[in-house]
Amino acid sequence: MKLLTLPERLGLISYRNQAKSEIKPHIRVETEICNTVCPHKCTTYVCPANCYTLDENNHVHFQVEDCIECGTCMYACDQGAVTWEFPDPETGRGVTWNFG
Amino acid sequence: MDEKFDCIIVGAGVAGLAAAMTLARNNIKFLLIEKGEFAGAKNVSGGVIWGQDLAKLVPEYWKDEEAGWDRFINHRRLTFIDEESAFSLDFKSRHFNEPPYSGVIVLRSKFDRWLANKVEDAIAESEYSMDSFIATNILVEEILMEGDKAVGIRTGDEKFYADNVIIAEGVNNLLTRQAGLQDKYVPADHILTGVKEIIRYERSVLEDRFQLNGLSGMSNEFVGYATRGVEGGGFLYTNRDTISIGLVLGLKDLRDKELKPYDILNDFKAHPVIKDTIRGGEVVEYSAHVVSSGDKRGIPEKLYKGGLLVCGEAANLLMNAGKAIQGMDYAMRSGILAAETIIEAKSKNDFSITQMKKYQGNLNNSYIMKDINNFQDAVQLLHNPVMYQKVPSLINHFGRNFFTIKNEPTKKSREMMGESVKAHSSYWELIKLGLKGARSL
Repeated sequence: MKLLTLPERLGLISYRNQAKSEIKPHIRVETEICNTVCPHKCTTYVCPANCYTLDENNHVHFQVEDCIECGTCMYACDQGAVTWEFPDPETGRGVTWNFG
Repeated sequence: MDEKFDCIIVGAGVAGLAAAMTLARNNIKFLLIEKGEFAGAKNVSGGVIWGQDLAKLVPEYWKDEEAGWDRFINHRRLTFIDEESAFSLDFKSRHFNEPPYSGVIVLRSKFDRWLANKVEDAIAESEYSMDSFIATNILVEEILMEGDKAVGIRTGDEKFYADNVIIAEGVNNLLTRQAGLQDKYVPADHILTGVKEIIRYERSVLEDRFQLNGLSGMSNEFVGYATRGVEGGGFLYTNRDTISIGLVLGLKDLRDKELKPYDILNDFKAHPVIKDTIRGGEVVEYSAHVVSSGDKRGIPEKLYKGGLLVCGEAANLLMNAGKAIQGMDYAMRSGILAAETIIEAKSKNDFSITQMKKYQGNLNNSYIMKDINNFQDAVQLLHNPVMYQKVPSLINHFGRNFFTIKNEPTKKSREMMGESVKAHSSYWELIKLGLKGARSL
């Protein structure tokens, strides 16, 4: 069977409040820490939704839109850069699983 | 809602719903709060509910045509894989065909919603049919404390009060941490990341391919190259017209090896043996969630405070000792035990820490903590690289030689095994592993 790319996989997910232009992020990342002291920048590869990416200067960027609330980054980041909360049902993002 | 509840439960997963069902049946006035759009909306599992506790919660659930479970398990398979081969232990028996089943496969979005409906039915039949509620779309942000005792919860600007709070918020247990029962930062050591796909087939195709009969189902766990050398394993479960296929990956090891979980999942799906098993379907969902390893060091020391109990995976109650990944059954039983503690507390009007402590005692005396305590060596053995890397390679090396028939004199199996051991490990290493294994199981 055809193997899916990550964007194809994320395209199958039902996110909440998709119609809202402004959402309140439920995760805050101090990328300053990632880009100065972090020896591994692991969130850029362990995140199952690839919410953490590296630019051409090897700087970490974070976007919350694709987050599926799995929790991985909260444990993987051992530098104190990730502040993790659950998304607000009204104003936040996050998922509604169709199968789960 | 100005009045006070007997109990507020945070989280409508398996643990929270089991607690709610038990409270409803014992005429306790409760509020069950769920942050998702409906019970199950945010929940992901492998997922098999092992054991027979579900029948206690929903008697004769197997007679329910619209039941939320997918298939009962009568076929188990444990597969060791290397890069090109798969060597399985396979067991199927009629013995598993009669209810109460010894395991049912579920999809949480459907199962939890069904179970929540059953809880609604129990509420309707209770003395508090108008005063107990399941409230969805509400995020609990804080456990309200008075001194050392929990007295309620806060969501936004609203506060709800109760004699007791049960935290059943799942593995990402922010409230448990806030209550000081677990460290604010939990390191990756005893945490795995699970990734999974749901693949849909025509039902007859699925049933033929996996030799399913009626609502029978198969569970297949994988050890070895499934994870590309990362600590952990794989799984495949048959649902009604889909399969759940995925991996659980030790997060610390994933971090050290600098691999992406979705890449490893694609490699697993492309494995020559897996590829044939899953061909033709259509992926309908991709999901991910962290899961506890079952290492006791990851479990909070205390699961209670005055007026407060923690159950299910919020308490990191989960274990894979090689036989099965047990989590949802632990959630169910711990939810029931928490509710029973509260029923007793209410009858005595005693919500003190001494009363709440009984929950931990009951948990320790239950099969959950007995198994977790007894099988710690097995948990650690499964996370030993010899076990998840060398043993599967060795077994498959042997399998290739043993099952290859050449038109030339054949070596004795023992000699073949010797070669396989030499190629991937050593007798000394295996003796050490065997001793550990014999002790642990």
